[in-house]
Amino acid sequence: MSENKEKLKTELLTLNMGPQHPATHGVLRVEIKTDSEIVASAVPHIGYLHRCMEKHTEAVDFQGVIPFCDRMDYLAAMNMELGYVIAVEKMLGTEVPRRAEYIRVLISELQRISSHLMFFGTYAIDLGAFSPFLYAFQEREFILRIFEEISGARLLYNYFRVGGVAEDITDGQLKRISDFVEKLSGELEKYHNLVGENQIFINRTANVGTLSKETLYDYGVTGPLLRAAGIDWDLRKKRPYSIYEEFDFDIPVGQGEKGVVGDCWDRYFVRMQEMHESIKIVNQCIDGIEAGDITGKVPKVIKVPKGEIYVRTECPRGELGYHLIADGGKMPYRIKVKSSCFTHVALLGEMGPGQLIADFVASIGSIDIVLGEVDR
Amino acid sequence: MSVIVKEEPLTVKKYFKNIWDSIYSVTKGMLITFRYVHSEKPVTIEYPEVREILPDSSRSRLFNDVDNCITCLQCSNACPVDCIYIAGVRRDKEAPKMKTTSGHAIRIDLTQYVIDTSLCCYCGLCTEACPTKCLTHTTDYEYSQYEPDGLIYDYLEPEVKAWKDRIVN
Repeated sequence: MSENKEKLKTELLTLNMGPQHPATHGVLRVEIKTDSEIVASAVPHIGYLHRCMEKHTEAVDFQGVIPFCDRMDYLAAMNMELGYVIAVEKMLGTEVPRRAEYIRVLISELQRISSHLMFFGTYAIDLGAFSPFLYAFQEREFILRIFEEISGARLLYNYFRVGGVAEDITDGQLKRISDFVEKLSGELEKYHNLVGENQIFINRTANVGTLSKETLYDYGVTGPLLRAAGIDWDLRKKRPYSIYEEFDFDIPVGQGEKGVVGDCWDRYFVRMQEMHESIKIVNQCIDGIEAGDITGKVPKVIKVPKGEIYVRTECPRGELGYHLIADGGKMPYRIKVKSSCFTHVALLGEMGPGQLIADFVASIGSIDIVLGEVDR
Repeated sequence: MSVIVKEEPLTVKKYFKNIWDSIYSVTKGMLITFRYVHSEKPVTIEYPEVREILPDSSRSRLFNDVDNCITCLQCSNACPVDCIYIAGVRRDKEAPKMKTTSGHAIRIDLTQYVIDTSLCCYCGLCTEACPTKCLTHTTDYEYSQYEPDGLIYDYLEPEVKAWKDRIVN
């Protein structure tokens, strides 16, 4: 009998999650080796959505780069544009009118809410609950409709311009936004009760996918993932850009309420709280918005003086950095994008080993990847 | 390596607490769901029967009113994906003078104005650059085709010209 046992050959089973796996949020392929139900190793493979964005931008003028920025993180396109226009404005030395700055902050915070609502919905789907997705989309629809009225598109806006914004925002729209966020605040509480306080959801996410602070620092993780681990790092507060230093808001951090600090539940809850903080900023924007121009003095053909700059902004998924090099011509010499999602995908290899496959799905969902930003 | 937390052993008290927690949280969720059965109105639109009217600013199919075009090439220069193809010939000096409705003199006769809509990224930079505002984004969103060739619009063709007012109703 014992001889037979020795002869039994065991090996790890290789399993491909994706590229069309519904739980991978796009076209991410994770090659996992499983020991029965336990993940032994996980290797993310990326590149299925690579569009040579950085190379393309070398052949278009500075205004024409903005549509390409949209297409990186298509769920938070406004935030993607913001970093780029700030970079070009700093190089040009353009002064942005106060009204335009207010509109930019207002729009980016609304976009942050819509992006986190998307996370809320898709994360619930990952864990087997379908209806929260529909609730989230119901609220997100309003934001998209407002964006469509202001900018003309629902997803890829091309709204921010070097020196300001493309269209002005009317008082009627501001009133509607203010009514909406007032309602949203109550709705979010309701959704949190529906999903976040649900015992099944807690069992699936608490104590799952926790990483130590050292690991997060080593990988250069930013955004809600870092804040969920209890580190209050938010660029809007710590290195203010645009006019963020004028607003009063808090940085929500993970408390380990249902499990340990930095588990999937904390990541979910930090995002839910961030939406409330964004609502605070939106309300302050609407109260404080000033009349005036929406575009500064920018030449029709933008020629950026020779030099380089690195600008980073806080996007819904983490820090976004633009390294812009100009050679004095009409087109950028080089744009290098540092995206947070690219960093976060690498965490999968760290999270996977030792987890159940079902927990691994919860872990993938909790880092909220957008593959458009990973591959660019 | 992720931090793996060991679960505490199950006790009788914990067993019943788990059952109570599950029932309590599911009931709380179901109360929200039941409210939607009666008191909330549906938010979806039943598409083929009911067609949504997009806001005026919405950027959908491009339309160029060729009679007002002055062949300035600004749209094709602004296009980040280069999907606008324009050709024109200089107008004879003897020919009768023509003006657009916005008052610009037409000095070049348009011989070709083609937009490959399948490449278009709907960014709106071309309409912004247009000095006579003849190139516009309409709010018409129903123009799908069986073949990609059908999306290449030649705006000098009478058939495409007639689409000026074609908007979903």
